[in-house]
Amino acid sequence: MRTSTPSFSNLIKNPLAAVIVLLAVSLTLLFLPPKFTHHIKMACVVPVRPLQWATCFCSNSASNFFDRVLSAWQDVHREKQMEEQVTQFKNKLVEQQDTIYKLQNKLNAVSKFAAVHKNIKTKLVPADIIGYDTSNLRKSIVINAGSKHGIKPNDIVVSHNALVGKIISASGGSSVVQLITDPASRIPGRVVQTREQVIVEGNATVFCTLKYVPRWAKLKKGDDIVTSDIGGFCPPSLPIATVVENETKEGDLFQSVKVLPRVNISKIESVLVIIN
Amino acid sequence: MRWFTFFCILLCISLFQSTMIHRINFGPAVPDLYFPLVVFYSFLTDLKRNTIANWFTGFAKDLFSEGSLGINSIFFVAVGFFIWSFREILFRGHLVTQILITFLFSLVYNVLYAAHASLSFHSLPLSSTLWIIFSCSLYTAMVVPALFWIFNKFHHGRRLFFNQR
Repeated sequence: MRTSTPSFSNLIKNPLAAVIVLLAVSLTLLFLPPKFTHHIKMACVVPVRPLQWATCFCSNSASNFFDRVLSAWQDVHREKQMEEQVTQFKNKLVEQQDTIYKLQNKLNAVSKFAAVHKNIKTKLVPADIIGYDTSNLRKSIVINAGSKHGIKPNDIVVSHNALVGKIISASGGSSVVQLITDPASRIPGRVVQTREQVIVEGNATVFCTLKYVPRWAKLKKGDDIVTSDIGGFCPPSLPIATVVENETKEGDLFQSVKVLPRVNISKIESVLVIIN
Repeated sequence: MRWFTFFCILLCISLFQSTMIHRINFGPAVPDLYFPLVVFYSFLTDLKRNTIANWFTGFAKDLFSEGSLGINSIFFVAVGFFIWSFREILFRGHLVTQILITFLFSLVYNVLYAAHASLSFHSLPLSSTLWIIFSCSLYTAMVVPALFWIFNKFHHGRRLFFNQR
């Protein structure tokens, strides 16, 4: 009796074997460490990035054109600019308010804080958004600046003086930004009015939730959340979000608080990356 | 040539989904253009071709999405296999069947994905996640007629509807 070992090409011809092989490859990819996963993703997607940029550019140009046509009748463009300015001033106001609070309470600490900030060499890199996440339950964007511009993982991304997210992977000319609304995002924050420390957590919707807000914390609608110094990866006092709803359930240790991020990601086309 | 067509379609879908899809959203509802491709190939092709096409579709979605690499490949291969296994009892040429199957399996896929995300991050609220899943699945099913018509245009040899052979 003659026995022979089936070759790989014969094995792959069998449909069930193809299913098993592909599932095995997927499982192997699934259990790879995130660092390798990001490298593989970046390497595979790099050739598509120029196309992605071109598509996004054309889409934005077309959108801007239609906006301008509309503004001829409705003056939308001017209103939009005014809204943008108002948002910027509001965010600046929150930042100033937080700084004033700190000055009032701990003058010495703030002096040190200012001294530290003078010493830290930060560089700002402007970047355009060239892509969005394809999944409904994850929130990330792709920007057209990468390691060539000095960007590295964990750098902070802002827009209109407010926090947008952080860099999670960077290749030569592009980087992926994890937004604060992503379910995997956790940002240490502080409530400006009550000084409570909180964690701002994304939940794949347009809102975020605050974790670990004690029952006794007196939060109200409109309270502002800024980044805290805890953890050290975010510059302090950057506006993150505004409280829109809070509820204390019977028997719960913490309040459940819903906040609205300061930056509406669907309405911006460019961001700033803060490089430490 | 068929694979070349498939990869061209996949590239176009990836570019559209990753750049312009947020311009046609209704609140949290965004259509998933990859999923109708999975359903189309599960209806149209044999098991091997269907599996490979669905794996690459999932892999493309993984590449343009944050999260574990391979998770969408697994889900798409599994969903494609299920659809393929009982496609003979369906009247595949009818638009209502295509829309219903896309809607139901999109729900299943999104629930599986949400379960995976919840286990990983513990931060997805049940009610809003269910609403996102329902609205996205409904929107995905609504774009099926247009997408299937386009896919059919690129597959002259075997048509599902409109001059079915």
